[in-house]
Amino acid sequence: MAIKDYLKDAIEIGKAMGVTLKHLAQPPVTVEYPFEPVPVYPRFRGRHELRRYDNGLERCIGCMLCEAACPTGAIYVEAAENDPEDPVSPGERYAKVYEINLLRCIFCGDCEAACPTEAIVLGHDFAMANYHRRDFILTKEELLNPPEPNVIIRPE
Amino acid sequence: MAEPITLTIDDRQVTVPAGTLLVDAAAAVQIEIPIFCSHPKLDPVGCCRMCMVEVETPRGPRLMTACTTPVAQGMVVHTNTESVRSVQEANLAFILANHPLDCPICDKGGECPLQDQTLRFGPGVSHLVEPKRLAKKHYLISETIVLDQERCILCWRCIRYLEEWEDKPQLGLFQRGNDTVIDTFPGQPVDAKTSGNIIDICPVGALTSRVARFDFRPWQVTRTPSICVHCSVGCNLRLDSRTHTLRRIVGRENMAVNDQWICDKGRFAYAWVNSPERLRYPLLRRDGRLVPVQWREALEYVAERLHTLREEHGPDAIGFIGSAKLSNEAAYTLQRFARQMIGTNNVDHRDGGDVAAWPVGIPALAHLMKPQYGPDPQVDTVFLLGVDPSEELPILDLHLKRSVRRAGMRLVLAHPRRIELTRYRGPYLGYRPGTEVALLNGLVKAVLESDAELPGEARERAEELAQWVAPVDDALLQELCGVDPDTVREAGHLLARSRQALIVYGPLAARGPQGPAVRQALVNLAAVTGHFERLAYVGLEANSQGVRDVGLLPHRLPGHLPLDQTDGVRRLEELWGAAIPTAPGLTYSQMLAAAGDTLKALYIVGADPASERPAWAENLEKLDLLVVHELVETATVERAHVVFPALGWAEHDGTFTNLEGRVQRAPKAVTNPHTRAAPDWMILDHLASHMDVDWPYADVRAITGEIAQVVPSYRGLTWDALGDQGVQGDVDAARPRPKLAPATQPPLDPEPGHPLVLVTGTVLYDGGNLVGRTPQMRAVAFPTGAGLHPEDAATLDVAPGDRVRVVSPHGSLELPVHVDDRVRPGTVWIPEGLADAPVGALLDGIYPVPVRVEPGKSGE
Repeated sequence: MAIKDYLKDAIEIGKAMGVTLKHLAQPPVTVEYPFEPVPVYPRFRGRHELRRYDNGLERCIGCMLCEAACPTGAIYVEAAENDPEDPVSPGERYAKVYEINLLRCIFCGDCEAACPTEAIVLGHDFAMANYHRRDFILTKEELLNPPEPNVIIRPE
Repeated sequence: MAEPITLTIDDRQVTVPAGTLLVDAAAAVQIEIPIFCSHPKLDPVGCCRMCMVEVETPRGPRLMTACTTPVAQGMVVHTNTESVRSVQEANLAFILANHPLDCPICDKGGECPLQDQTLRFGPGVSHLVEPKRLAKKHYLISETIVLDQERCILCWRCIRYLEEWEDKPQLGLFQRGNDTVIDTFPGQPVDAKTSGNIIDICPVGALTSRVARFDFRPWQVTRTPSICVHCSVGCNLRLDSRTHTLRRIVGRENMAVNDQWICDKGRFAYAWVNSPERLRYPLLRRDGRLVPVQWREALEYVAERLHTLREEHGPDAIGFIGSAKLSNEAAYTLQRFARQMIGTNNVDHRDGGDVAAWPVGIPALAHLMKPQYGPDPQVDTVFLLGVDPSEELPILDLHLKRSVRRAGMRLVLAHPRRIELTRYRGPYLGYRPGTEVALLNGLVKAVLESDAELPGEARERAEELAQWVAPVDDALLQELCGVDPDTVREAGHLLARSRQALIVYGPLAARGPQGPAVRQALVNLAAVTGHFERLAYVGLEANSQGVRDVGLLPHRLPGHLPLDQTDGVRRLEELWGAAIPTAPGLTYSQMLAAAGDTLKALYIVGADPASERPAWAENLEKLDLLVVHELVETATVERAHVVFPALGWAEHDGTFTNLEGRVQRAPKAVTNPHTRAAPDWMILDHLASHMDVDWPYADVRAITGEIAQVVPSYRGLTWDALGDQGVQGDVDAARPRPKLAPATQPPLDPEPGHPLVLVTGTVLYDGGNLVGRTPQMRAVAFPTGAGLHPEDAATLDVAPGDRVRVVSPHGSLELPVHVDDRVRPGTVWIPEGLADAPVGALLDGIYPVPVRVEPGKSGE
């Protein structure tokens, strides 16, 4: 093996190291996941949320159309009549029980499409692991977002 | 019958009877014409203009409403031309102009004709930019029905139903033009007993049920065809259930029973099925308290105690009480258990052995029905003795009203209270309670004295008959019965001249010691008028007919078999593999009177005698063993030693026999996951096996099969053969042959100091243990009170609302007064089953019951 070959190899290594050194100075592309938020696309379909109106009333009227649209039977709704003095939602009807079984849900978004009041939306939360099966059934209290709406309405 | 008519609809030849409406002719060849106001069971009105079709006339094609136009020979009709389509689109656009699009919260959404037809025939886009009309939403027209005037499309179906069927025009159109609304008349809510039917026929969500409000979506529910168990008409129902709960009840069509109508009690009073207060576990009394135990423990205890008591006191120290609400299968197993396992005929139900019943009911309800479609009613006169259909059998009431108004049927009413049906023309005999036999003899006499030709046997024995009834003269009718002799004559002539008369009596007229004489007098009357085949006894409970047929009686075995008919009894003994006792047992009231005395143990299935009569409640406490099958906690359960939780009619299979002998299925519709309850027959079957006898019942259908084997009129009936519409048993097989005999009016013993007579009876909305669990039914429940005629109220100087004490020789009862001119002068009316007023406190098996009214302790 001639000395020329050694030199050639050394140049190759130098080039490669150059690439490495160049990236050393750049910011990392990976995310320290549990400690840093992960950016998601605006149309990402994650954990469901039930929205409210600005005045605090629930948007959901308990019409059960989401339940009818759901291809996996993941949604269970029981409706009841609003007390006109202390309504839960505008109009006569509200959802007394609203449950989503996350183990069944396939995040297709048909419930969103079926909802006449844009009450149920798929949010951006995707970290839904849990220790017990029963904890995968989200109740209405867990689904209702805080009084100030924080969910982005999707463009479509 | 007129010639059938042939016409052309959309190039297809159709042949229909004359008088058919175009819309029905089109339906006969599966051509759909959209309709809203037209309804097959209501008169045509043509107000929604949806059914426009093009008819070729000499002056060119003309648009006509198919729902009001009768067919004509050679008519040429088009249902799908451009002008028809444009009219349909425009019409729907007009209807939708003011119809709120709140389908997501509307209970009709999903089964709404307006939704469906908009999708099929509608324009697809709306041109409306102006705001919609506003009217009353969520507006109660009764305790059970909600009206939404905005959704209403003014088809008048509800108005027409209440007018044409109920004959109670309680809804009307108000305002005009764009402002027209449906409303009640001021201060008068809809209170017709079958008002809920307007919910079913409303083509939009304007009328919805308040009881089932928001409880269901039409696409979610499982629909089970079943029947109603509130009265003996046996209306066909559909039970809509979801997630193990009953969500809604709607009427189901059966043209032989209820047409498609049901009463409000059947429609709304179902909350008890889902009630959290249902009994869940077998209960055993320990240290004075009922504690939940395992089935095995409770069954072993009962088996052991029954065995011991039978050894110690003999079989006749044990009694069995069933209920006419039980299915045929439960009643059959109960009487088999009593007769085979214990060896006693002490087995009965309320209004069982205490009432002199006739073994068969009405020959066919269809004979009273449908004057406007199908054959005319075959019955032209109905004689009702001690039956108030308006309160007791609301759908029979509906049929009678319809036939009276549409087919000229005549009613002859004999009742100690001026019942609602007396508003129709026809003789009304408001007799004094206890004088039924004299009244009936008076009728027989009137028939004999009329010029009518007597049938068969009655003709041969006319003189004998005349002798029997001779003592009943005008003075007696006037003095004793308190009826007008001319009215009696009119009624008698009406019955004698009638082509087909139905003679119906109820338990009110034939209870107690004078019952057999009343029955004999009725047989005589039926024989002299020639209507013997149409003499009918109607019980009031769902299975009054069935429990009698399957032998839940102290003196009759299954199939109305007398205890002394050795051939039949031997066949039954071979089938059961046990000897059957030959002595008649105690009746319901006798058992309860002897309880704690000669009777040591009572086994009660689905009955609550403790709340019926305070004296019985005390007796039950003295028993050595009280076993109760029950759905919810009752006064009887509180006194029981062992309680078995039972299943309701919607939770297990069973068959019921209605007042015309039609055996109908009530299949399992819901499963209650919260209870360990079991069907009555299964509890008895397990109890038998704990007493070392294995019954051959794998399921309830095996019992149905055995009943079909031993009851002659049910021969050949199987669960599958019954289908959704039921099968009428062979009623003729069960009808006894007529036996003429004198019927003697028992003397009335007026009790000194008790000038008035008590009249009891049933009201539809009572304070029942099950009905009261629907809050809306509680609101319409009959108010607790004693009814007095205005004259008597004036004599006694009491005003409505005053508290009085009604005293009979056997007890007293304190309750408020209501003054009612429908109550007969000289009587006090206290219905059975009122909340906090056990009228049984005044009774002691004596009929009629003399009472007096004293001022009560007011203000307490």
